[in-house]
Amino acid sequence: MSFEPKLLGFLCNWCSYAGADLAGVSRIQYPPNMRVIRVMCSGRIDPKFIVQALELGIDGVYVMGCHIGDCHYLEGNYEAVKKYEMTREFLKLVGLDNRIRLDWVSASEGVRFGEVVSKFVNDIKELGPSPLSGDSPDKDLINKVRAIRLAAGSNRMRALVGRERKITEEDNVYGEKYPLEKYKEIMSQAIIEEYERHRILIALEDESKSVKSLASELSVDPSIILEHILTLKGRAQVDFQEIIKNTPIYMRRE
Amino acid sequence: MEKVGAVMVVGAGIGGSQTSLDLADSGYKVYLIESSTSIGGVMAQLDKTFPTNDCAMCIVSPKLVETGRHQNIDLSINCVIEDVSGEAGNFIVKVRKKSLFINPDKCTGCGVCGRECPIEAIDIFNEKLAKYGATSVKYPQAVPLLYAINREVCIGCGICYGVCKAKAVEYDREDEVVDINVGAVVLSPGFDEFIPEEANLYGYGKYKNVVTSIEFERILSASGPYSGRVLRPSDGDIPEKVAFLQCIGSRDYSGVGKPYCSSVCCMYTAKEAVIAHEHMHQIKPTIFSMDVRAYGKDFDKYIIRAQKQYGVQYIRSRVSSIKEVPETKDLRLKYETQDGKIIEEDFHMVVLAVGLNPPDDAKYLAEKFGVELNQYDFAKTDLLNPVQTTKPGIFACGAFSSPKDIPDTVTQASAAAGCVNQLLYEKKGTLITEKSLPPEIFVRGQPPRIGVFICHCGINIGGFLDVPEVTRYAKTLPNVVMSDRNLYTCSADTQTIIKEKVQEYNLNRVIVASCTPRTHEPLFQETIREAGLNRYLFQMANIRDQCSWVHMNDWEAATNKAKDLVRMAVNKARQIEPIERIKLSVTPKALVVGGGISGMVAALNFASQEYETYLVEKEKELGGFAKHIYHTLEGADIQVYVKELIDKIKANKNIHVFTEAQMENIDGYIGNFKSSVIHGEKKERTEFSHGVVVVATGAKEYQPKEFLFGQNENVILQSEFERLLNETDQIKNKKSIVMIQCVGSRNDEHPYCSKMCCAEAIKNALLAKELNPDLEVTILFRDIRTYGFKEQYYRKAREAGVIFIQYDENNPPKINSDLKVEVLTPRNDKIYISTDWLVLSAGIYSDREENEELAKMLKIPLNDDSFFLEAHVKLRPVDFATEGVFIAGIAHCPKTIEDSISQANAAVSRACTILSKDEIEAEGKTARIDITRCIGCGMCIENCAYNAIELVDDRRFGTVASINQVLCKGCGACSGNCRCSAIDILGFTGEQIFEMITGRI
Amino acid sequence: MTVQTEESKSSNEDWKPKIIAFLCNWCSYAGADLAGVSRIQYPPSIRIVRVPCSGRVNPYFIIKSLTDGWDGVLISGCHPGDCHYLTGNLVARRRFAILNELLQFFGIEPGRVNFMWASAAEGERFAMLVRKATSIVKKLGPNNKFEKKW
Repeated sequence: MSFEPKLLGFLCNWCSYAGADLAGVSRIQYPPNMRVIRVMCSGRIDPKFIVQALELGIDGVYVMGCHIGDCHYLEGNYEAVKKYEMTREFLKLVGLDNRIRLDWVSASEGVRFGEVVSKFVNDIKELGPSPLSGDSPDKDLINKVRAIRLAAGSNRMRALVGRERKITEEDNVYGEKYPLEKYKEIMSQAIIEEYERHRILIALEDESKSVKSLASELSVDPSIILEHILTLKGRAQVDFQEIIKNTPIYMRRE
Repeated sequence: MEKVGAVMVVGAGIGGSQTSLDLADSGYKVYLIESSTSIGGVMAQLDKTFPTNDCAMCIVSPKLVETGRHQNIDLSINCVIEDVSGEAGNFIVKVRKKSLFINPDKCTGCGVCGRECPIEAIDIFNEKLAKYGATSVKYPQAVPLLYAINREVCIGCGICYGVCKAKAVEYDREDEVVDINVGAVVLSPGFDEFIPEEANLYGYGKYKNVVTSIEFERILSASGPYSGRVLRPSDGDIPEKVAFLQCIGSRDYSGVGKPYCSSVCCMYTAKEAVIAHEHMHQIKPTIFSMDVRAYGKDFDKYIIRAQKQYGVQYIRSRVSSIKEVPETKDLRLKYETQDGKIIEEDFHMVVLAVGLNPPDDAKYLAEKFGVELNQYDFAKTDLLNPVQTTKPGIFACGAFSSPKDIPDTVTQASAAAGCVNQLLYEKKGTLITEKSLPPEIFVRGQPPRIGVFICHCGINIGGFLDVPEVTRYAKTLPNVVMSDRNLYTCSADTQTIIKEKVQEYNLNRVIVASCTPRTHEPLFQETIREAGLNRYLFQMANIRDQCSWVHMNDWEAATNKAKDLVRMAVNKARQIEPIERIKLSVTPKALVVGGGISGMVAALNFASQEYETYLVEKEKELGGFAKHIYHTLEGADIQVYVKELIDKIKANKNIHVFTEAQMENIDGYIGNFKSSVIHGEKKERTEFSHGVVVVATGAKEYQPKEFLFGQNENVILQSEFERLLNETDQIKNKKSIVMIQCVGSRNDEHPYCSKMCCAEAIKNALLAKELNPDLEVTILFRDIRTYGFKEQYYRKAREAGVIFIQYDENNPPKINSDLKVEVLTPRNDKIYISTDWLVLSAGIYSDREENEELAKMLKIPLNDDSFFLEAHVKLRPVDFATEGVFIAGIAHCPKTIEDSISQANAAVSRACTILSKDEIEAEGKTARIDITRCIGCGMCIENCAYNAIELVDDRRFGTVASINQVLCKGCGACSGNCRCSAIDILGFTGEQIFEMITGRI
Repeated sequence: MTVQTEESKSSNEDWKPKIIAFLCNWCSYAGADLAGVSRIQYPPSIRIVRVPCSGRVNPYFIIKSLTDGWDGVLISGCHPGDCHYLTGNLVARRRFAILNELLQFFGIEPGRVNFMWASAAEGERFAMLVRKATSIVKKLGPNNKFEKKW
């Protein structure tokens, strides 16, 4: 039996959802693989939603909104782009970035809706089933995706992604436009840091560990793990537990 | 130009803070200018301090808090000096106060902004070992506790503006430029450490486990990034073998580092090794050093303890290379031992003892203030007054003039203040303001009417416990007539509210439940005083630092705890009574014991400020030991200097000189001493009263019993050699001179370094070589301790052909009657040298009997070597625990003439904080004795570290203890031990504490 | 009425001991503040009484605390040598060495009264000491040695 991917679509109420409706009214035929969740605006689509869907074994996630400039809420879809880009960058870390897609479909583009969905289904078919689907997905990968979900939902990432447009396109609190390139650098750095930190937190859930064992588990340089442990201690999420021989062991704090 | 009674102090490290406190306490307006965002400097970064292993934060932070809230000190942070004009007595300094982008009047230091900041910046205070927000405070105990935005890393997202409930964030806040008019300037910008990265020395920056000593200091600190656990940055493991490398960037002629000795590294390395072992017993430290320069008071004992007690291993060698072992990240050190073997050894971690560089802005400051720098870019100072820069009216203290440790810095800080005093004394008290306060409302005997103010502290308290509930609860407590809650109880508008409520409800006790009394009690006390209540009718409940912040996940328990804390405060408040501070008049006269250089300098400084001074000298002539010294190593002419001093003293009508004199008795206490002296050939007796005492009794030269001294006339002391060189030309026909160092120093009976002998030996060797170039001079030494800039003369002596041979303490040189010297070198070779004169560098000894007698009179302690023991080794190096008594010169410990002069001026400055006042006010929270209960056992006297208690005869009750309210500090050690509960501590009475314990409603 | 209500005296798992802590103003109280500033969490079992110096703590305070029903007492001063009042903590140390023996003679279990040092820089250590004291007292159970039994 050929692979039939399970896909999820987040569609904005005013354009894409209407477009999907139009496809129906127009009896445009497309593959039945995508289930749709209606949201009021693409700007509402939290990175956490996308990552959680993947975590649960969905083979692909489609985010759709109004064309740029057409947003019912004026600029919601601009925000959607920023969040989507961040999510993609996170997912790149585990090679799942090609399982999500962003597109603009207007209320009048019923035909196009059918086309893009068909293309997405085909593309995912080519990719094959998500490594997280099936009965016994790779536990390590699940933890990694979980770390991404938590990191993407952290205060720091939300603050950064939420202010990106204002700061890089208009002006920041000092009335200056912050260079986009520099901002991207900060974002990329933060994405890696928060991902690694949440991986540490997850790794410490079952048992307490040393810097070195975390380093080999996560394949990250121990000196960087140590830095993360210090930051997490400062955030009251990790605590020192005991010293075994010459190695301090750290535990998760509830 | 008219002189101005204000002083600017540039740099608010420990030195700048001390100068400011001294001057502010002496009646000058002080402008303290700091370039960073908080005061405390490098000392605040340290974990412990040598040689006492005191916790640096514990001892420095009360001093910083005092500096921060002194009413005569105007503290400005984040400042740049823009321009300076004027001359001694009247300068105008243009200062730019750079914007913090946070309104200092509104910021409460709660820290929410830093926690919410999405940018992680490198934390400079923790030496890049941790990360911090772009909005940050340097460290949790920082003074002033103000957050600042680091504009360099801030992206301007505006989140901090949103989360700041105090509305303190102001992104459009601009720099402020002010002109400040002052009479004198003290420069104390400190130092910058040598950064090995630049030269890529020893793999620093490349190998993670190679750290600098200041980084290691943060690693050791309990409040540092690793919480005081010693960990390897590469993998967080505890290193067992730690190597400490000395002289990194110091004593380096290669051009990479600096040629001078950084003075402090030998000791701080020993300390770091000891503390590392103390923190983690598995750590075995090894120190690679050249000479071990433990030249200060009790330093040698510390080194011995480090070796014997803590197993610190010393290897005399300079490590030639370090390589990282890739798999383990261990470090492979290659070095040559003293007997010539090349060894490769692996260590888990390496600490580089980096030297002290002049501050980065030294040239900038020098140019602005018009002072000169020396060849190493440190401030150039007077040869004999190390705090005087090349420009009158501008003084320098601390590491800005030469690398030095904390006590020397603090001494110089006071010395600079002493010199300012001399310059501006007529203007004392002209620019300080005293607040007019309403008369105190009489509340004694009235039933308590308590008002409770509970603080939300933005969300810091209100976010984690139920403030409205605690407020309601407080209202139900007996005697509480009102309770109220505020967003920020410390804000200016709440102060007005508190004052209004005091009137409205006729309150006679006020409680604030908020943060810690350590920082905020004085503010609220001031508020209720302005409302007419006695300052002590105030209590604080700490429901933030010790409740909401430490129980963030337990709303109910935190609320209950807050209720308990408020109830305990109410219970105590019911018992509190107004406390009057005792005032005592001051006799504005000084007694100086000892007429050597230190004593004379002190007396002249007092006298020039028109304080009547009594100078007591035991010999017939003034001058002391300095009479035997001709020049300093640096070339200052001591004979001329001493003569000048004596002439000035004789000409000064404010100084009464007693020669051939001995103190008979010293009675009384701070501000009010009464003494008698027996003096002159006829043993006359004179009585006089005075307010302060400076002890400057000096010390003496050891008369050796070893090396045939006294048996062979060609065996002479260094001082005699100096005389022969300067007064005769006998050196011309000599062929060979051998000097032996450490004679009578650093041995079992006298386990200390006499500090001056190395410099003296090199000075005389250079002079001898100059007078007779063919002369062979050999110096037999254990360690050459030419610290600081004296290092250059050591090098000069080597270049001039002086031969230096090291000997071991256990194998001292041997002498036969023909003056043939046999010495065993470190490579175990025996060498024989014939000499015409054998010159012994004899140590400096205290006069035990004399010192003991004076110590008894003044109730001051001596150390094991019978030198006088100061109040605190680090921060009070000129004071005694007995107030009003100060120490100067080598009666304190062996030191150079320049240092003695500094300490003499410092003693005067410290004394002026007392003499400048008409009356002194004692702390109110002191011990009181109920003489009806006292049985006169005297137990309390033994427990009192301040000599504040004595036994007196009472007409009705016989022998009872009596407490001198001026001397008492209110610690309560006496009270806890009093067997008949006769002693109580005002402000912390037994009754009050019992009420807190019982918790009754 | 004493500090504890009857309910809190029940010795079940949920029982939370109440401990009174006498902290010297200069080191330990500052250390407790630092724990707060660093947001280091510890059990809400202690109530802090600020005293100028550990030397101020009268043995009566400790005995009174026990007779008044506090489950534990904690006294903390500066590390030896660090005392703001030069030697106050040493006086305290001598005093408490004797008191400790007396308390044991009374039948007060070791661990109910704790003497310790914490410096102004040791926020984490302070929290650790509180955790430790709390768990020891919790194991000992409620302090009912001084309850009237008739």
